[in-house]
Amino acid sequence: MSKKRRIQNLLVYTALILLLFFWLFPILMALMNSFKSNKELLTNVMALPTTLKLDNYLRTFEKMHYQRSFLNTLLLTTLGVGMMIVFSAMAGWRLCRTKTRLSQIIFALFIFSMLIPFSSIMIPLYKIILVFHIKNSLIGLSFVYAGFGVSMAIFLYHGFIKGIPFELEEAAAMDGCNKITIFYKIILPMLKPVTVAIAISNVLWVWNDFLLPLITLSDNKKYSLLLSTNILFGQYSSDWSAILSALILSAIPVIIFYAVFQRQILKGIGEGAVKG
Amino acid sequence: MTRKGRENLSLLLFVAPAFIVYFLFKLYPTFSGVYYSMTSWNGLSKTKQFIGFTNYIEIYSDTYFWKSMLFTSKYVIVMLLVANIIALSLAVAIESRKKAKGIFRTLFCMPNMISMIIGGYMWNFIFTKVLYYLADNWGMTIFDKSWIGNPRYAFIAIVIVSSWGIIGYLMIIYMAALQGVPVHLIESGSLDGANAWQSFFRITFPMIRHSLTICIFWTLNSMFQVFDVIYSLTGGGPGRETQSVAINIYEEAFSGNIRYGYATAKSMVLFLIVFVITIIQITVMKRKEQEL
Repeated sequence: MSKKRRIQNLLVYTALILLLFFWLFPILMALMNSFKSNKELLTNVMALPTTLKLDNYLRTFEKMHYQRSFLNTLLLTTLGVGMMIVFSAMAGWRLCRTKTRLSQIIFALFIFSMLIPFSSIMIPLYKIILVFHIKNSLIGLSFVYAGFGVSMAIFLYHGFIKGIPFELEEAAAMDGCNKITIFYKIILPMLKPVTVAIAISNVLWVWNDFLLPLITLSDNKKYSLLLSTNILFGQYSSDWSAILSALILSAIPVIIFYAVFQRQILKGIGEGAVKG
Repeated sequence: MTRKGRENLSLLLFVAPAFIVYFLFKLYPTFSGVYYSMTSWNGLSKTKQFIGFTNYIEIYSDTYFWKSMLFTSKYVIVMLLVANIIALSLAVAIESRKKAKGIFRTLFCMPNMISMIIGGYMWNFIFTKVLYYLADNWGMTIFDKSWIGNPRYAFIAIVIVSSWGIIGYLMIIYMAALQGVPVHLIESGSLDGANAWQSFFRITFPMIRHSLTICIFWTLNSMFQVFDVIYSLTGGGPGRETQSVAINIYEEAFSGNIRYGYATAKSMVLFLIVFVITIIQITVMKRKEQEL
């Protein structure tokens, strides 16, 4: 390597590391100050905490009903994404394999609304939620998420199934398998790669969604993690040590999820399958 | 039953669960929204009256709505430039690292995983506490600004936090595109005497045009809906100075006014504007891609 190249390299590295520090600064500051008492925090936000006290965490864990909020969010996410996947795989498969006019029309109906954003339909949607009495119902809300996610998921499944040879299904049908057996025994296992991508992308979306729970969950026993965090911010507007520990607690599940699935997540974004 | 009939019947059975949830929670609201936008429906009275285009006429002279639209447009334009330029530069810088590529990529993308409600509150702490501390005690007087209280600086703060949230995502898309550029092309370019800038703009850039179309589309679409960042950072304030359209619609419907019909009309206007802009963007950029 020439000397010029080496200096250039060093400069790029330095710039990247400085930028990375700036990037992680808010998270690091939140983490560092979340261990301090409020008095300690207000005296010097830049100092390292003198002791690693967990007081703030214990306090906010109780205050934001962390366990309950976490389980609520978990229920919402698994149920919503689970239904989305099963429904979309079933629909995507038959829509791809049935070559009739009806099939084309249904597929077009699913794709048509992909560009319609949530904020454009949130009020009529709110009306439906009232009509069905699923305001404050986590199970009801998970159906709403499924309804929102199926378009994109069907689109992806449809594209993926096109690339799977038809002969396998045909042979199974010859052997007298019905469609449901073929779906579970043959199709579903083959869909694994695209299912993983769809699942990960939608888990992140539902878990991090704020606006829909904000307008539909008013009973604090049903609050998602983000709603509980948000409420805490309103209640403790100047008690930063409590707020910061709540923010860290609330970020931990996603960061763990990211640490475990980062390869699939980053691959999914690169291929356009994961929405940010 | 004919073979076609049987095929269609099994199709319907398999499509039914997806279609029912889709119809109830997406398709039907889309169309009923058009109707609600022409009613006087609100949270107080039990009945809603059909009032034609009255809501739309009111929007026409709704200063706060257009102010929020202007704010959002300004924000979208700045974000298109700032986020994409930084994301592409980062992608180029990181893609050419050999060893540290993976770790840089992972860490720069991390803010994208965290909800912008959490990210926004973390930055709220930085803007309201940390920067003042740095100004007062470390002599960094440049930070001594009312970041949340002054509309001009609040705008900058919102752009910083949004960029922080989205750049990692865009960067990954650009990096994936950069990986598709054959190394031998760059090498033969530099043999012909092209410098780094020339080889980027003449060789690399034309080859990643498609990812630019995707990223611009994505930024346009998501930034026009901006809600979480502003909600957690400024709450639309001071006053209504940093109110985005989504915040304006939310407030019209769910806090204070409860004018559902009118708020729906506003959301229709937002949808139409975003839709038209997106279609133009896709058409123009696709054509440009093909010219190359």
